Amino acid sequence: MTEDLRYVGKSYPVHDVAQKVTGELVYGSDLNFPGMLHAKLLLSPIAHGMVRSVDSSRAEALPGVIRVFSHLNSPADTYCRARIYPGQECAIDETLFSEHVRFVGDRVAAVVATSQAIAEAAVALIEVDYEELPALLTTEQALERADVPIHADGNLLYEHHIESGERVDTSGGVLVSSTTGTPRVHHAALEPHVCVAQGHSTGGLTVWTTSQGVYGVRTVIAELLGLEYHRLRVIKVPMGGSFGGKTEFILEPVTAFLAHETRRAVKLLFDREECIRATMVRPATETTIRTACAADGRLLDFEAATTLDSGGYAASTPDYADHMCEKVTRLYRLPHYDHRCQVVYTNTPVAGAARGWGAPEMITAVEIHLDKVARRLRLDPVDLRLKNLIQPFDIDPVTDMSLGDARVVECLERGAVAFDWTARRARARGKGRYRRGVGVACGAHKNGMFGHFPEASNMALKMNEDGTFELSASLHEVGCGVVTTMKIIVAEVLGVHPDLIAAGEADTSTTPFDYGTFGSRMTYVAGACAEVTAKKLKSAILAAAADVLQAPVEELVAREGVVYVAGAEARSVAFRDIARFGDMKHLPAIRAAVTYYATSNPGSYSVQFAEVEVDCATGLTAVTDFLAVGDVGRAINRGMVKAQFQGAVQMGIGYALYEHVDVDEAGRSGVDGFKNYHMVNAPDMPDIDVLLVEHEGDHGPFGAKSVGEIAMVPTAAAVVNAVNNALGTELSDLPLIPDRIIAALAASAGGGA
Amino acid sequence: MELLLTVNGTVWEVSARPTARLIDVLRDQMGLSGTKEGCGEGECGACTVIVDGKAVNSCVMLAVQALGKEVLTVEGLAASGELDTLQQKFVEQGAVQCGFCTPGMLMSAKALLMANPLPSDQDIRTALAGNLCRCTGYKNIVAAVRAASGQETVAMEVPSEKEELLADLAVPGLAPAKLDEGGE
Amino acid sequence: MSTTDVVAPATTDELVAALARATPMTRLLAGGTDLVNDIRRPGRQTDLLIDLSHMPALSYVRHDGDMLRVGAMTTFTELQADPLVHEHAFCLERAASQVGSAQIRNVATIGGNVANASPCADGATALVALSAEVTTLDGSGHRATRPLRDVLLGSGRTALTDGEAIVEFAFAALGNEHRSAFAKIGWRTAVSVARLSMALVVRFDPVAEVLSEVRVGLGAVGETAFRDAVLEGLLEGRPADEESARILAEGCADAVRRSIPGRYSLPYKERAAVGLAYDAWNALRICPPCEPAWG
Ligand SMILES: Cc1cc2nc3c(=O)[nH]c(=O)nc-3n(C[C@H](O)[C@H](O)[C@H](O)COP(=O)(O)OP(=O)(O)OC[C@H]3O[C@@H](n4cnc5c(N)ncnc54)[C@H](O)[C@@H]3O)c2cc1C
Ligand code: FES
Ligand code: FES
Repeated sequence: MTEDLRYVGKSYPVHDVAQKVTGELVYGSDLNFPGMLHAKLLLSPIAHGMVRSVDSSRAEALPGVIRVFSHLNSPADTYCRARIYPGQECAIDETLFSEHVRFVGDRVAAVVATSQAIAEAAVALIEVDYEELPALLTTEQALERADVPIHADGNLLYEHHIESGERVDTSGGVLVSSTTGTPRVHHAALEPHVCVAQGHSTGGLTVWTTSQGVYGVRTVIAELLGLEYHRLRVIKVPMGGSFGGKTEFILEPVTAFLAHETRRAVKLLFDREECIRATMVRPATETTIRTACAADGRLLDFEAATTLDSGGYAASTPDYADHMCEKVTRLYRLPHYDHRCQVVYTNTPVAGAARGWGAPEMITAVEIHLDKVARRLRLDPVDLRLKNLIQPFDIDPVTDMSLGDARVVECLERGAVAFDWTARRARARGKGRYRRGVGVACGAHKNGMFGHFPEASNMALKMNEDGTFELSASLHEVGCGVVTTMKIIVAEVLGVHPDLIAAGEADTSTTPFDYGTFGSRMTYVAGACAEVTAKKLKSAILAAAADVLQAPVEELVAREGVVYVAGAEARSVAFRDIARFGDMKHLPAIRAAVTYYATSNPGSYSVQFAEVEVDCATGLTAVTDFLAVGDVGRAINRGMVKAQFQGAVQMGIGYALYEHVDVDEAGRSGVDGFKNYHMVNAPDMPDIDVLLVEHEGDHGPFGAKSVGEIAMVPTAAAVVNAVNNALGTELSDLPLIPDRIIAALAASAGGGA
Repeated sequence: MELLLTVNGTVWEVSARPTARLIDVLRDQMGLSGTKEGCGEGECGACTVIVDGKAVNSCVMLAVQALGKEVLTVEGLAASGELDTLQQKFVEQGAVQCGFCTPGMLMSAKALLMANPLPSDQDIRTALAGNLCRCTGYKNIVAAVRAASGQETVAMEVPSEKEELLADLAVPGLAPAKLDEGGE
Repeated sequence: MSTTDVVAPATTDELVAALARATPMTRLLAGGTDLVNDIRRPGRQTDLLIDLSHMPALSYVRHDGDMLRVGAMTTFTELQADPLVHEHAFCLERAASQVGSAQIRNVATIGGNVANASPCADGATALVALSAEVTTLDGSGHRATRPLRDVLLGSGRTALTDGEAIVEFAFAALGNEHRSAFAKIGWRTAVSVARLSMALVVRFDPVAEVLSEVRVGLGAVGETAFRDAVLEGLLEGRPADEESARILAEGCADAVRRSIPGRYSLPYKERAAVGLAYDAWNALRICPPCEPAWG
């Protein structure tokens, strides 16, 4: 970067912070409309079976109940909750209400009533008779029992195989194999899932959603209800977090249906138990890795087999599996890589999109495995990784694309120094009740979806009569400051303060087509679109200024809202005066609309270091220190970039140590609320340090790359590796709840009381 | 039944079922939707309000329990129109992301500072233990509370950036520098 | 949805009158931290709620001769900060400080903790070790006092009858020669119900240098908090040394094995019991801190 940046790289709060701290902001769950009805779903209490009969007469008789729906009086058409554009290839296996129920929490019926309390009371009056089928609760069971198909095409939903490079001679090398299990977890966005829809008497429909992509919502609803797209308006409203859990369209189709049928406004708000049971979870995975290594630590061969538990429906899991096969070669140079992935239906909660989209799952397995390799070779884990990490501008053999200015090596080297790795690793682990250990893990992720489909974004920007600006874009603020990011980028290009730029959120009627806020595409793809759009607008301003100042465009410079003639600074005109010049002569043309197509998909990287203290008596692990290093290209909003890491580490520690949605023999989870779903709270969070590596060598705006997902990719592995270092164990079944730690200590010689 | 409740210094007369929770009355009857419901079981703290000077979870308290008491909600913090110091520090320290935990965090922190004007980091973390945040990792929140207590803080290199920039921007001809905090 | 009536007595007479109306569907409302969610469960019917939160007369800690008296409506926040509790029932102070979150402690009462009869109730575990007695009041104005262990029958079960309210807990105030401690193992450091808890009370005679009057309350193993006589007997008359700590820990693991034989959580809890016992022991501060000898 040669130029000095005025706004990029500074720190700003999220755009709606003032309304957030005053409690004024109206979130999805706060929405209320006159005459609005309330819906409540009847969820399957059994894991697998057929609905033999539904008797809703008593519910319908309850005063205040408007309608009751089930598979008997609703479309039997199937849809895919993860489809984001029409015709997109995906597994279409879900209906609004199930006759064949496939997990505890599957939608069986819905009541629409004049109040929430009445809807709840009415749901309890619906009588459903089920014929139970064997519940297949693990992927092994599901694969074994071909005679019990969860879906018509069988229980093996999808298979994927990737191979790159050539097998090399591994004789004399060290062979290591490991199996890592990652748990099914709840996203636990603090605001529960909610949707409000208004059915219009004209047959049109408006949907207010806390989704991460309004255009996808429109696609799924329009196709399901047979509505023309222009009569269906989907509006993004403020939401209390998502983390992928609101990427797929879970409540929107059913709420839209209820509103459309009743021609009323209908609100469907889940409680926490419903969110846990009946929305979606991060998929449980099991990955077996076999590697061959030269004695000096160079990886010669890497073979992996992953089984991913899709739960009762496919949702996005096939795509998730594809992505799990695209992580390892983004991180390590491998002469030969072979990865088989299978996705299996089970009678457990539906799995799908979750922060990191396969990367936390896969990288956890890889990084735990590499520590095992390091132990076998008696190599320091940092040294082992340094021998194998990719280098800037390596070509990823799997995608055949450049990894861009990938600075993972620098992250590791600088992090190791900042963390004082060598000294801390050499320090005694302790022999007594409390043992200390340190762990490191590297992680790789992507920047958008280029390579999978035509990754693009659309934006329009205009100048107002007073010299302020409005950006029209389909942004979805999930809490990570995407609106602010766009404002900063536009501000930097135009040379005005970000507060002079307004940017709204997505609305299919008013903002241009965009896939949504997911897939680590906002900063890199949408941000680049914002940059290009702002540049185009700036040209329009300069063209107008040339006329006003009667000087050639080439001689003009814009600074802080004023255009000057270079070398004759006295000749200047402010943006506002350009707007108002000659009865707004130029203003109508001071607008820009851009469609930006991504042309690259570099890697984003993070290397993280954890220090833990394990209580060998209680099995409780305290994370006592943590360093996250991120190769982010360039921090647009520095404070928020660091805050993304801090929050991601909270989630990653939970992934490593506490969080899991287990099911019992009947397929029902004992987890029904935050009382038994334990997330890290303030007393247990270490003070996280964040170190940013910035090289701005790729195509993102001002060189920026994605942050929100990569930030949590290596966290769990760093923690697990630290625990294994502390205890001399090889634990790899997450989460490392105290019971598992105690069991491992009891099993390992000398660990007993 | 009819209830007389004092909320943010105003006496409200509302009719509610006897088993109505305080959160329901605040949100549904009074329209004070700044108080959020994240779990409904006392675990997440999003519903925290202050009753007679003490932080409580309004989701596990019935409205009748607040009769004759002073209830303070997030809407009451900036009652004079100016942000409370605590709110201001939450803004400056980057303590807010999705913001759903924020009202509850603010109320727990407010109750802490009312009882203990100079809390240690440990005190702050203990006071906020019943407030879950899924976005921030708590670091900036703890820093904001610390800053609000007038103690030095090291969390984010954010503050005052904005004021400085706004001052700079007093360029003739440019749009007025009186800006709506936080945009749209 | 049935209709529920609420009464909020402010005096003892009003409370008696309210209790006289009680049916099996009547519930007492203290802090509400257990009750509010309970009455919202589908199928729960409540005809009358007797709201005790307007009864300041039930919220106190008092020294009365050799006894410490604690009103049923005393909150954990109050117990945690009370100088008398600190001085004469330290284990109760420690237990109170570890209940839930600040928001919970601000309203949750000791009476509700006992009446709710969860096996994990921290307050109940401490009171069991303090050999507390419970005084109740009923709708005829009758006061009855009985040992706490006779009130706690099992998980969610008490000997309280409909319309019988706990009004007070009383126990012998611990003196200068007594030490007490409370330890708890949860899922995280704060805001977690106990997976195991122990309240420990001993008398340590500085002249004879031996332990006596040993009382051990265990929580979250079995149906309700209980005292373990076998475990207590092991320590009686022993010096305050590392060996005693070991005996306590072994005995504690043994007590866990006896209480939950064959239970899924046993392998974990029997080992964690050792850690728990050392935590409690070290908190007594009668000998230098020690820890289990792991291989
Ligand atoms: C998030 C959360 C965390 C928690 N953490 C803990 C913890 O760490 N440790 C712990 O021990 N508990 C914990 N609890 C449980 C609960 O807070 C305690 O049991 C509390 O002491 C209950 O007291 P209360 O005043 O709120 O009782 P209420 O909820 O009002 O009443 C509980 C029961 O007792 C009855 N009752 C109340 N008072 C009386 C009385 N005077 N006489 C007769 N019956 C009465 C009620 O009818 C009801 O059945 C937690 C609860 C929550 C929601
Ligand atoms: S909503 Fe009250 S604590 Fe979660
Ligand atoms: S800011 Fe989102 S939960 Fe705290």
